[in-house]
Amino acid sequence: MASFARSSLLRQTLAPRAPFLQKNVGVSQVVAFHASAKKQILPPLPQSVQGTMNDPAPIPETHPSEGSYHWSFERLVCVGLVPLTFAPFAAGSLNPVMDAILCSLIVAHSHIGFQAAIVDYFPPSRVPKFRATCNWLLRAFTLTTAVGLYEFETNDVGVTEALRRIWTA
Amino acid sequence: MFSQKVAQQSLRRLAVQQPLAMRSSMMGASPVAVALGKNIQTRQVTSTPNTEDPSQILVKQRLNRPIAPHLTIYKPQIGWIGSSLHRITGVALSGTLYIWATAYLASPALGWHLESASMVAAMGALPLAAKVLLKTTLALPFTYHAMNGIRHLMWDLGRGLTNPVIIKTGWTVVGLSIASAVGLALI
Amino acid sequence: MASLRTTSRLFAASRPMFRPAFARTYATVEPTPSEQPKMKTFKVYRWNPDQPSEKPQMQSYDLDLNKTGPMMLDALIRIKNELDPTLTFRRSCREGICGSCAMNIDGVNTLACLCRIPTDTKTESRIYPLPHTYVVKDLVPDMTHFYKQYKSIKPYLQRDTPTEDGLEFRQSPEDRKKLDGLYECILCACCSTSCPSYWWNSEEYLGPAILLQSFRWLADSRDEKTAERKAALDNSMSVYRCHTILNCTRTCPKGLNPGRAIAEIKKMLAV
Repeated sequence: MASFARSSLLRQTLAPRAPFLQKNVGVSQVVAFHASAKKQILPPLPQSVQGTMNDPAPIPETHPSEGSYHWSFERLVCVGLVPLTFAPFAAGSLNPVMDAILCSLIVAHSHIGFQAAIVDYFPPSRVPKFRATCNWLLRAFTLTTAVGLYEFETNDVGVTEALRRIWTA
Repeated sequence: MFSQKVAQQSLRRLAVQQPLAMRSSMMGASPVAVALGKNIQTRQVTSTPNTEDPSQILVKQRLNRPIAPHLTIYKPQIGWIGSSLHRITGVALSGTLYIWATAYLASPALGWHLESASMVAAMGALPLAAKVLLKTTLALPFTYHAMNGIRHLMWDLGRGLTNPVIIKTGWTVVGLSIASAVGLALI
Repeated sequence: MASLRTTSRLFAASRPMFRPAFARTYATVEPTPSEQPKMKTFKVYRWNPDQPSEKPQMQSYDLDLNKTGPMMLDALIRIKNELDPTLTFRRSCREGICGSCAMNIDGVNTLACLCRIPTDTKTESRIYPLPHTYVVKDLVPDMTHFYKQYKSIKPYLQRDTPTEDGLEFRQSPEDRKKLDGLYECILCACCSTSCPSYWWNSEEYLGPAILLQSFRWLADSRDEKTAERKAALDNSMSVYRCHTILNCTRTCPKGLNPGRAIAEIKKMLAV
């Protein structure tokens, strides 16, 4: 059988008819591809290439609220959150001003985080309407959350104090 | 490939051994004419013109191409598994906050009691095991996200970006976050 | 099949005549006679564009490791030479400098020519094309968009002012040192196709390989278009889809650090 596999002439004549040479030595079986899920979430579209092979890929549009400013702002919020999240563990809870700063930073951080997830998973070229809906929903929810937290800060005991009480209840 | 080689070899042999036969096969063109490029070989060809736009062949082929498997076959490594956990915990934490804060805003209209006093009372009424379980499920995403967040901030400063450090800090964050979450739950 | 066997016997009789055609490959090695065969199973992703309606399949091949060279590429070449000539993959230099044989081996993107075959014969090795690429055939991915993205970052020296003496543009050893770890990239796309962000947003996100190249030109002291280069990157998609997942750094078969290059780009843009 080894010589059978080696003869190039046979290889050529056999190849088009039996692409997977199933009865050959060493080629034991063909298994249907297991890892392709039956129902994919948002499967990619068939391939299409814009322009010729020699055209560069287009550069995405710039926007003043995106890119480096956005990134720097996000990192500043993160850096600010670090001491503010760890302080309550040392102090028990925060005074109302610090509490308010913490709440606004958390809302900003959450909003940017959700935004990043929407940009990552819902490309406008695939699901433009769903993406727009998500963005508006996010804006609405951020607003209600911010107002809700404001209400809680002004009418109730404040977030860190409330958490402390619930935790030790 | 092999059959071509055989045909070529036999032709060469023919040319060497019987040059006359070769000449007759070249339609009787004189060597001078061949050398000057003046003989025109004609060949009768029957072919069907290709009406298909050649630029569309590749375009059509592209439409059939499958996508190579990705998430399901990539080796589970602390780097990307930890990173996906970072996003999942972040979305879970922020989602909880968003839902709770929005519900708090709507509670007067809906008649729900989400003020701190009633939540403390509800928590106090739970049995100890439920308390610990609830606290752990709340604390673990928080501790993981917070500690991994610090790792991310270090990376943004350009530090700790070598393979051994990435792996080591990744597992450290997992261990520390679990330990601190359990610690927090037992307070 | 019976008629085929007789012909194969005929060929077997005159085998020395055909031998040189196969003796050229180094993928097959002569085994020492005393050794027991070490059979290992290789499962390879197959898809044939001539049968577009058929789904991709995993096909398994058994090879004796004693007769096979040490690298995954040797195994693939042996499969193609001796078991199944229809198996399709790219390869060229077999020494990790051309980047042709980039593929996903045992779940990690690497160059087949630099990846040793695990000697454990009990576990099978799984070979896939680069993840989330459009498959041309079997292990051959379509790299068109990747190269188009490479072109979009203008990967060449941009400079208007000539040098004082009209000779070549020179660099101090310190400036030259900044390019170490960047210029070695062979654009095999292992890192880009290991990046989940690139999986989801390869249309606009440049991916680790192209960003490493981008930083290679941003870091070059001779280049004078740094501001333009930075402006072209300063949008939400080109760079900032990077969430420091760092699969790129983990997988680079050349031991480079695309993750750090992207972090440096972000720092450059932020200031």
